[in-house]
Amino acid sequence: MTSPICDLLGISVPVLQGGMAWISDWSLASAVSNAGGLGTVAAGNAPADYVRDQIQKTREHTNKPFAVNVMLMSPFAEEIAELLIAERVPVVVTGAGNPERFMRRWLDAGIKVVPVVPSTGVARRVEKLGATAVIAEGGESGGHIGELTTMALVPQVCDAVSIPVIAAGGIADGRGFAAALMLGAVGVQVGTRFLVANECTVHPNYKQRILAAKDIDTVSTGRRLGHPVRSLKNAFSRGFAALEYEPNTTLEQLEEYGVGALRLAAVEGDRERGCFMSGQVAGLVKREQSAAEIIADLISGAEAALKGASSWVK
Amino acid sequence: MLEKIQNVLRTHLDNETLEITAATTFEELDLDSLDLVELVMSLEDEFGIGIEVEETLVTVGDLVRLIEGLL
Ligand SMILES: Cc1cc2nc3c(=O)[nH]c(=O)nc-3n(C[C@H](O)[C@H](O)[C@H](O)COP(=O)(O)O)c2cc1C
Repeated sequence: MTSPICDLLGISVPVLQGGMAWISDWSLASAVSNAGGLGTVAAGNAPADYVRDQIQKTREHTNKPFAVNVMLMSPFAEEIAELLIAERVPVVVTGAGNPERFMRRWLDAGIKVVPVVPSTGVARRVEKLGATAVIAEGGESGGHIGELTTMALVPQVCDAVSIPVIAAGGIADGRGFAAALMLGAVGVQVGTRFLVANECTVHPNYKQRILAAKDIDTVSTGRRLGHPVRSLKNAFSRGFAALEYEPNTTLEQLEEYGVGALRLAAVEGDRERGCFMSGQVAGLVKREQSAAEIIADLISGAEAALKGASSWVK
Repeated sequence: MLEKIQNVLRTHLDNETLEITAATTFEELDLDSLDLVELVMSLEDEFGIGIEVEETLVTVGDLVRLIEGLL
């Protein structure tokens, strides 16, 4: 399988590994890139020194292209933006916020810029500013989510822009991959399934919870803050929901409750107080495998689904 | 300028008699950050300028000042 996004990003299969704060470091990113996809180092809220170190380690472990995911709400966004230029990172993926203030600088430096978009308006906007491609991410995803679902968002974004569209959210096997292509996408970004990759350094408790999860085990919280998050149900998410529905809770209190919770889950494996961000497809994720095996399974599954699809046509 | 923006907003919100002043917040108009992106794009077309969407836009007056600074 190949697609226009492969030539554009210099990869051999149209699979991007989604950046995951506190989780997707050089180890997962280089494994995905070595397997022909686009690995992504997540900058999250980390300072520039951490990101520089991760970029160097990624380069030590792969000579293929990779991406850095920048959280635009990070207090270090500005330094990281400059670091990416100094390091001549091949691809930047932006999440959680507005990339406008950095786009021109990155593009002028020859960096490919691929923003995650939650709506057609934002997609058209970043296209106008020169984006290389967009990732249309639906609310089935793990992590910070938008309102629209992948099924509804992807075809509308495809109609709205003429740059390539990558689908994200709810894709964990070849069926979802094939469906995304049917919706008009030219590639997919996968997060949740890569959480259990052998090369993913997340805490073993996190992997265990993903492997054990069923379809109904995720919940979205934080809508009142304007940036909802999807995570696995546990004491943390129940506490968050209770606080959110309590009318006297201030936004500051709510914001405060969530601080540090992803780190507690990802690094400490704290089953009670951690925020185990996960997509709705966790129920499809049953096995720990290498990144290369996951990618091979996605591709062979999608090819089988696409070949089989013609049987529907009379 | 305020008047032009009022008109764009009224069209956008499909409410021709809507009360809008410089002090009106986008939140009061039920416009979130995604709506603001759409709004700014129609204003760019209207005035033939490039507007950087800022996270600090709270009131209609903020938007008026931003655009006046660009003209
Ligand atoms: C644990 C976790 C952390 C995430 N962190 C980020 C992040 O820091 N920045 C970002 O743009 N997206 C983040 N995402 C979203 C992923 O990059 C990806 O788009 C998403 O997981 C795709 O949906 P899926 O989980 O259904 O595969 C995160 C997702 C998960 C599951």
